[in-house]
Amino acid sequence: MKTLSLYAVILFSIFSFNASYAQSVKKATLQASGLTCSMCSNAINKALKTIDYIDHLRANIQTSSFDITFKEGAKVNFDDLKMKVEDAGFGVASLTALVDFKNAAIANDEHINIDGMVFHFLNVKDQTLSGTQTIKVIDKGYVSAKDYKKNGRYTKMECYKTGTAGSCCSKNGLAAGTRIYHVTI
Amino acid sequence: MKQKILSALFFLFCFQYLSAQELFVYTEPASNMAAKSIGLRLNNYLLKEWVMDRYDYQVKPEIMCGVSKKTMIHAEGFFSNNEKKFKADGASLYIKYRFYSRDEVHSHFRVAAYVKGAFNNSAIHQPAIDLNGYNSGYETGLVATRLINKLALSVGSSFLHATDNTGDNKFPYEAKNRNAVSYSFSAGKLLLPEIYKDYKQTNLNAMIEVLGQMNLKSAKNYLDIAPSLQFIFLSKMRLDIGYRFAIIKDLLRNAENGFLIRFEYNFFNVYK
Repeated sequence: MKTLSLYAVILFSIFSFNASYAQSVKKATLQASGLTCSMCSNAINKALKTIDYIDHLRANIQTSSFDITFKEGAKVNFDDLKMKVEDAGFGVASLTALVDFKNAAIANDEHINIDGMVFHFLNVKDQTLSGTQTIKVIDKGYVSAKDYKKNGRYTKMECYKTGTAGSCCSKNGLAAGTRIYHVTI
Repeated sequence: MKQKILSALFFLFCFQYLSAQELFVYTEPASNMAAKSIGLRLNNYLLKEWVMDRYDYQVKPEIMCGVSKKTMIHAEGFFSNNEKKFKADGASLYIKYRFYSRDEVHSHFRVAAYVKGAFNNSAIHQPAIDLNGYNSGYETGLVATRLINKLALSVGSSFLHATDNTGDNKFPYEAKNRNAVSYSFSAGKLLLPEIYKDYKQTNLNAMIEVLGQMNLKSAKNYLDIAPSLQFIFLSKMRLDIGYRFAIIKDLLRNAENGFLIRFEYNFFNVYK
């Protein structure tokens, strides 16, 4: 019985490792809002550097933007980035990410789970995404208030407002409360 | 008087052509420092006493802490030779809460509310209320700041109440004179660098601030103009050099004109 448990643990570990290794978000570019000077930019730079799964961070002070490369196999959470920028006293003006979709077929106003990260594509044509693709996060707090309101016309699902799976998302088998990133290409 | 107003207008005029930032020297902006960060300041004032024909030296060490993205705290100690002998005069605690923020790329509009409490053990010699080293009391106010590219503008107003100072130093004027309203207008512009390349570049900001107070009982006023220059080194250290002078001085102060030299060092993400 003990041996069986051990096998189960080993299998679980391998599975977990594979799940994290398959992380498909490679890079991101974040533009911050609400600042001009280098001391403010540095506050964001230092805050982002505390995220342990960031491998490399390059700041462009002039444009208030940050090019981020994630560690291989890391579990990326865009909300971590946003929280760090907000803790530094600023906001996210835009966030684009380079994601390996591995020939996933996406459909407009539908959810898709890519290696444990759920995306909800809006204002896109149904298509197969081969290789890496740059996506733009359009959730609340990732675009201007005006753009967030404007993009609301592309979906009637309530997850756009909450950012998490609700009754609208049950057909995809998503557990209530699962984080859904609303994105476009 | 006319000459001083003209010189103030000249500063404002020059400022138009200098074309900073909101890290104002004489006032606090609506923005806060980053959460989990700590800033240390050493504020040095050299002020001319107009009655005694001498200079007061005041040194005010200050610690600032970003408690959260919306709240920050300043604690400051006051030391001076205002009463001839150099001594510890008192301390203050300031809490600011940013409750409105609309951010866009290279711009923002923010509004914050603040409260300040101070104690002071010196004798009170002036009807103007100053919680920054002269009076015990409290202050509550609002500040709104707009940043547009390299220009920052800020307006603020506050209500001040002076209590008796500690050490049996009573407020010597009529009780109704304990209340005053302060107001300020600040403008700052980032002059250098023209183009940012890295965090090691020195930033130069030019500021001009208008600072006033009206006593609510006597309706007497003072109004000061305070131009200043600010250097930011390595995107974490600040050197502020300012000169403040009065253009309206009906509301009396002992030492109103003089220099401020401030050193500031910021430690980001000090704690988790």
